[in-house]
Parts: sequence; C-alpha cells; structure tokens
Amino acid sequence: MAQAQRWVGKPIPRRDALEKAIGQAKYASDLFPEGLLWGKVLRSKYPHAKIRRIDVSSAKSHPGVVAVFTHEDVPNNRYGLFNKDRPVLCDDKVRYIGDPIAVVAAETPEAAEEALGMIEVEYEPLPAVLDPLEAMKPESPKVHERGNIARQTRISFGDVEQAFREADVIVENTYTVGTQIHAYLETEAGISYFDENGRLTIVAGGQSPYRDRHEICSTLNIPEDSVRVVIPHVGGAFGGKDDISVQIHLALITLKTRRPARLVWTREESTIAGTKRHAGIIRMKTAARRDGVLLANKTEIIYDTGAYEGLGPAVLDVAIENCNGPYKIPNIDISATLVYTNNYVASAFRGFGAPQVLFAIESQLDAIAERLNMDPIELRLRNALRRGDVGVFNNKLIGSVGIAKALEIAANHELWRERGRYKSETARPWIKRGVGVASAIKGYTLGALPDKGQVGVELTREGKFRVRVSSTEIGQGVLAALAQVAADMLRCGVDDIQLVFADTLETPDTSVTSASRQLFLAGNALADAARKMLDKMRHVAAGLSGEPPEVFDFLDGYAISRDGKTRISYAEIARYMENNNIPPHVVGEYEVPRVEPIPGTLEIPHLFYMFAAALALVEVNTLTGFAQVRKLVVIPDAGKVINPQTFQGQIEGAAVQGIGYALMEEAKIENGILKTQNFATYLIPSIKDAPEIEVIPVEDGEETGPFGAKGIGEIGIIPIAPAVANAIKDAVGVRPTSIPITPEKLYWLIRSKHGEKGSH
Amino acid sequence: MIFKFRSISKVLILRSGENLYVRCGNAVVRRFSFVLNGKPVEVEVPPAYTLLETLRNVLHLTGTKDGCSDGDCGACTVLLDGRAVHSCLTLMAQVEGRSVTTVEGLLRDSSPDEVQSAYAESGAVQCGYCTPGLIMATKALLMSNPRPSVEEIKEALRGNLCRCTGYAKILEAVLRVRR
Repeated sequence: MAQAQRWVGKPIPRRDALEKAIGQAKYASDLFPEGLLWGKVLRSKYPHAKIRRIDVSSAKSHPGVVAVFTHEDVPNNRYGLFNKDRPVLCDDKVRYIGDPIAVVAAETPEAAEEALGMIEVEYEPLPAVLDPLEAMKPESPKVHERGNIARQTRISFGDVEQAFREADVIVENTYTVGTQIHAYLETEAGISYFDENGRLTIVAGGQSPYRDRHEICSTLNIPEDSVRVVIPHVGGAFGGKDDISVQIHLALITLKTRRPARLVWTREESTIAGTKRHAGIIRMKTAARRDGVLLANKTEIIYDTGAYEGLGPAVLDVAIENCNGPYKIPNIDISATLVYTNNYVASAFRGFGAPQVLFAIESQLDAIAERLNMDPIELRLRNALRRGDVGVFNNKLIGSVGIAKALEIAANHELWRERGRYKSETARPWIKRGVGVASAIKGYTLGALPDKGQVGVELTREGKFRVRVSSTEIGQGVLAALAQVAADMLRCGVDDIQLVFADTLETPDTSVTSASRQLFLAGNALADAARKMLDKMRHVAAGLSGEPPEVFDFLDGYAISRDGKTRISYAEIARYMENNNIPPHVVGEYEVPRVEPIPGTLEIPHLFYMFAAALALVEVNTLTGFAQVRKLVVIPDAGKVINPQTFQGQIEGAAVQGIGYALMEEAKIENGILKTQNFATYLIPSIKDAPEIEVIPVEDGEETGPFGAKGIGEIGIIPIAPAVANAIKDAVGVRPTSIPITPEKLYWLIRSKHGEKGSH
Repeated sequence: MIFKFRSISKVLILRSGENLYVRCGNAVVRRFSFVLNGKPVEVEVPPAYTLLETLRNVLHLTGTKDGCSDGDCGACTVLLDGRAVHSCLTLMAQVEGRSVTTVEGLLRDSSPDEVQSAYAESGAVQCGYCTPGLIMATKALLMSNPRPSVEEIKEALRGNLCRCTGYAKILEAVLRVRR
C-alpha cells in the first residue's frame, strides 16, 4: 500500500513542548508521594579500599531516620549488563570515589543527610589504579579479582605490514581523549511506592523500563511481575541513564519499609557517581598511495572503563567498528583493550565509543592530505564507502550510505569553497582562522546482538488511536516523531494519536532506547501493528456495509470504499467492535535484521550505518591558546527527515556537545578524585559558546526504515571534534592530538612550534 | 530584633512580632510571608531554606527546576519583584514580604504567555528541564529591554545552561517575541 505522507516530514512543534514550557510536565524529580521517605546514599571516600567494617547503629537511632541499608540487605549484590561486576551496595571493597556503601531513609532530607555522617565505615586504603597503561601491567594492583583487563581483542583483515612497505605515505600518531560528563540538567532521580494492587512501582529517569526492571528484580530477588517501572519525561540522558542509578536503592527502601520513597542525586553526586564517556589512548598508523588511495590502518585502542564495565564491552566494539572511518581500507589491524581503573565508571554516552576513534582517523586523513598536498575532501571522497561496497570487515553494506553525498555537499559549500576569504577576515593579527572538515560513521541498531521490539495499537471508542511503546522520551522527541509516523500509517490526524510510553504495566517491550534506533525500531513495529489494525478495521467496515473488505481504503479517519460511496468513520468501526466483542487492539513486532558477529567481537558489524560530514570555522587567539568555533555546517545522512524541527534540534544539540567535547569539557580526575564536580568547574557550552550552525540533511531514503528514516541521534556529535581540530591545524599550523583542546594545551602547542622555528 | 544563634539546633523558641520560630520535630522552622504568582502565601520552613527548596519540596510547585542547587545552571530562575534571580541562591529571608513569579505564574486564565508559546513553537524545548528557567530569564530580559539585540539576548541568557538544543532554537524563540 502506498502510504501518503500528510504528517511525516512536517516541522510540527512537539506535543510535549508546551506542557514543559508552562511547567506542567512532570519529571521523576518533580514527584512527592504522600508520606514519603527521603533517601540518601553514603558514598566511598577512597578510590580504592577494602571495607573492614560498616557500623550503622548510631545512624539508625538518629531521630527521623527510619532505616539504613547496606550490602547485607541485598540478596544478589552484583549487577551489570555484560558482566555482573557492580555491587548495589559495596561489600568487600570500594573501587571509586562515590561507590555506594549505604542507603539512608528518613522522614526529612535533613535527617537523612545528618545520618550519612553518623555511619562509621572502616576502610583499609589500597593503592589506586589510575593510569590505564600501568593498569594493564601484570604487577599492577587489581581493581577486580579477574585482573584489570576487562576485555581485549584483536581484529585484522589483510596484511598491514606488507601494505606499509608498499605505501607512499605513512602517518603515525598517538591521540588521547578525555573523559566527558553527560551533564544533563536533571540529575538521576526517582520515587518508589506500592500501588493499590500491592505492586512495587519505581518511577525514575532512565532509558529502558524493562531492563531497569530486570536489574531491580535480579538483585533484590523478587519476581518481575511484582514490579512496575515507569519512566516519565526525562531531563536529558544522552546514554548516561542507560545504566542503573537510583532504581535499585529506591526499590530496596520501599520493599523493606513499605513506605514511598524519593531519591534525587545532587549535581555533585551526578558528576561523581554517574557514568561518563570513556577516556582513551588511540595509536594509529595509516598508509596511503600517492594518488590518495588508503592502503592500511593499524590501530591500538585503550579505553579506561573505570571501576566497572557498564556498557564498556559494547563501547569497545563500536570503537573497533568505526576506527577506520567511513572508508574502504583493504588492510586493517586493530588491537583493543578495555581496562579497569579506579577512575569512576565509564559507559554509554552519545556516540558510544565512536567520537574518540573518529577524532583519531579524521586527524590522520587530514595529515595524509597535507602530506600528499591533496584537498582533504577529495581524499575522503576517493576512499569513501558507497552502498553495496564491502566494508573493512568483509561486510557488505546493504543499507543506505550517504557519506559521499554529504562530502560532496561539504565540498560545494560556500564555507569550503571560499575558505581563503573566511580565513582572511580576522580583526587582529594574533587571531588566526581556519576551516576544517571531518566525516563520521556509526552503526545504529544493536548490531549483531538480538534486538526485537513490540508496539501496541488500540482503537478507542472515539475512533482515535492509543499507541503503546516502551520507548523513553529523554528529550530527543521520539514520541512526537512516532505520533507523526502513526498518523500517516493509520491514516488519521496527528492529534488523534495518543501515546502511552515507558511503563512496564501499560506498554509492551519496545526494547531499549539507545543506539539511535528507537524511531527505526518502534516505527517498524508500528508499521506492523498498523497493518494489523487496518486489516481488522477493513473487515469490520465490510461487516457494517456488506461490501467486500478489499474495497476499503483509509483516509482522514474514515474507511472509504473504492467507489467513494461508502464512508464509515473510525468511531463507527470502534462502536461496532465494542458491541460485537472484537478486541480493539493489536500488537506489532519488529526484529532488527542482523548478521553473525565477526570472531573476537560481541556485536559487530552492523547492517545499518549513519554518516555525516561537518565543516568548522574556528578562530584561535595565538596569544592565549583560546579557540572558538565561529560556524559549523553539519551534513547528516538522515534517510528521511520525519520532523525537520526535531531533526535540526537533535543535530544542533549534538554539535554543541561536540564543541564542548572538543574544546571545553575537561573532567579533571587527579589521584582518583574528580576535581570538576559542578557546572562552575566542569564547563559545558553556554549560549555564548554556541556558534551559528547550519544543518543540511542528505535524504536518500533507507528502505528498511519507517518512511525511509534512519537513526540520527548520535551522529551529530561524532564529526565535530576532528573538524574543529583540523580547523585549528589549518589556522595555526599545529595539529592537536589531545582533546579537549583547552587553551592551556593549545598555547603550549603553538609555543612548541615557534620554539622549533626559533632554534634554526 | 535580637536573633543571634550559631546553629539551628540550639534555637528553641524565639518570638519577635509576627515571625515565629518553632521547633518542628528536630528542625526549627520560621514563618515567612510573601506573594507567590499574585497570591499571598505563608510557609513555615527552616530559616536556612532557599526559595527553591520551599517552592519544590514544601509547596510542590515543581515548574521551577533544580539543576545544580549552586547558582551555576539557571534552571531554577524565577522573578523576584520582577527581576530574574536564582531561587537556589535566594534565602527565604530575602523573599519575606516580596513578590515571586514562577513559570506557572505566567499563565493567564490558563493560556500560556507569549514567551512560553514561542519556546514551544520554535522547537526550543527538548528535554525541557532548562526551559522554565530560560523562559523566566527571557521574561525578565524583555521586561527591561523589549527590543534586545542578538548580543544582548546571549548576554542575558548566558547563565542558563541547556544540554539538548545547542541554543539555536532558543535564540529563535526569543527573536520571535522581541518587539
């Protein structure tokens, strides 16, 4: 059936926008159940220590305190998505500053806070493991019994050494990338209570209600059908709410005290105990022929996952998968290691391991272009992947591949064509300008991991639709996009679609909200549900009219016969179904296509990839080392844009996070202690740091996606850091190999270049 | 006026005119009167409470958001006698007898203020947690300067952090309601 698009592609404002703007939307942190207990968490003072003794007796007897919990109250005290290495409450050891030791529940926040100070913990400090390279040595102290190498793998195709011997140009560099903190405006927060049916209910910021429920139930040893997890509007997530935060602690309080509870992390607690983007070291040796054809890339990746794995093993896979960029390279060799240290916990963050390696490979490409005296975009285009190509893992690219088109748009953009003029327009002789380019690639979907989701559709008595998804609204606008998709699939107005979301009692499992694929997955499951629903309605229309079902089509809330003479409203159909006991609901399902993982990996390759190109105009003050982005052009391969307003917002927001990653956001961890615990010390971009951003989508269509759409949530951040670094090289002639490129680093880099000149 | 105390826990009951300190459980609370969104209110809270703690934790008026409790992010911005302040840095003693407007107070007969509509329609709202604070900062700007330049808008909103939008649509929203 050809689907007319009346709503898809329109920039209609999100339905949750006004509710949020008038202050009526409720987030988890806005809920105060009657008779609640205030929860607070006691956290480790040491980055690495044995716990000798925990004494909660005086805290327990403090006025207003109702209960204090430790590891003794947790039946299965380890959880984790790949490896159950993380305690709900620490027992044998603490492994980072902030590791939770006890949970207090009290009548007032003041009493809870006071009680934290009355818990006695006797520690035996251990040497902290701080440097991932040291951590990898056999003699290093161990963060976990199994050793500090959480995961190590090597993937090679072809023969890199042979290719290096035949190459005309070889570029070799070591890149370091810093820790990035999600810094969503709403910290980790939630409430818990027993509902009227005695079901333990957790309402908390998160990304996956079903997975959170599983973690709660497996640690507390309670049946899954006795627990309900609801995820209301979330005040930002970006991957940082993919892991458990407050959920198990809340469940524990309510389960044991039978009272409602509230637990909201402070900003400092969020920066300390929340997960982070992996810091890392990437060594890369890249070879090309004189004509620009890439011959080989040898990469060593070391990611610091901190005290616990979280989603680290999968993050490492994504780094492996994307470290060769969106290019055809016949010989590759990748060694990758995920290392435990006592440096907090790294897990998912928008880009999921890709921004780090793309910073490396895109800097390499620029260096090769410079050595060959070739236009950097021309070099990239010469090697760019195209649809149907075989990728670096011998994987055939069956999905849409828009990188060449994105690069062509970049090459023809005024900022690139007239970059000489842009560079000359500086006000002061010590202010230098440069223009840089970078590409990006990342798989969307969970790659080779099984991934299946369901969506429920129900026809209401009024002839409208209730769509049930467990997708979470973390700010990305998935609900608005799904409403538009649903309206076109069910042939009704967008206002006739009501969405029920992220509630294990009310919505089927639409799988996790991550990997830029919730619209893709839920949209496809919705297509299946819509087909089933319309089929059901077609038969009802036939029953009502006496005409055969196949003559009916649907438009604007009516079933209409082919000759146009019979028009039956959705409300009439709904009433007929009710009167004849025909269930008015269906469930659609979609299983994401995948291939077998290549040996040595967990989930790669993906079948579906997102791409983007970016141009950056950067201004550098050579006297201070301060770099500022003046203009960005971001060209994402979108497949099809469902809502231009939401789409632009996603790309612009990701780009500014990318500027923070490239230039500003320095999570300083010294001796295992995070020195940047708030927004005064951990600087994220303000409106003054945000440049003019132009977003140009490539819309070639992805046949497997709903209306041709593909994932876009993460791709916007990935090309920014390398584009900015390449622009800085263009401006001042030195290549930054360490991000964030803080004024201090850039100042010394510029100085070192002048020092070399001066020594002649 | 003879209130001298080192710590809350040492104070039992002190009386001075209308203001009453009372021990409430193991905390001491004081009565404060102010005008909230046009209506007089009285609250009894610990004297060290901030306006933000009072709005959210006591009155459960949660449109005003708590992003950092430190004055760094602007999510808690409200109007105090028409000027934008961080409610997390405003003690209740500073609010006594004055007028507070929160994001809920901008509604007129349950229709949104033009600034609220502009944010919603421009796509300036994603996760929305920074939105009420930004709207209050915008409101304060436009009350003092109905025709701000782009630079003036950025200067006025630089203390309001947003992690989702990249600020382009926020700027667009303010330009939309600029006179």
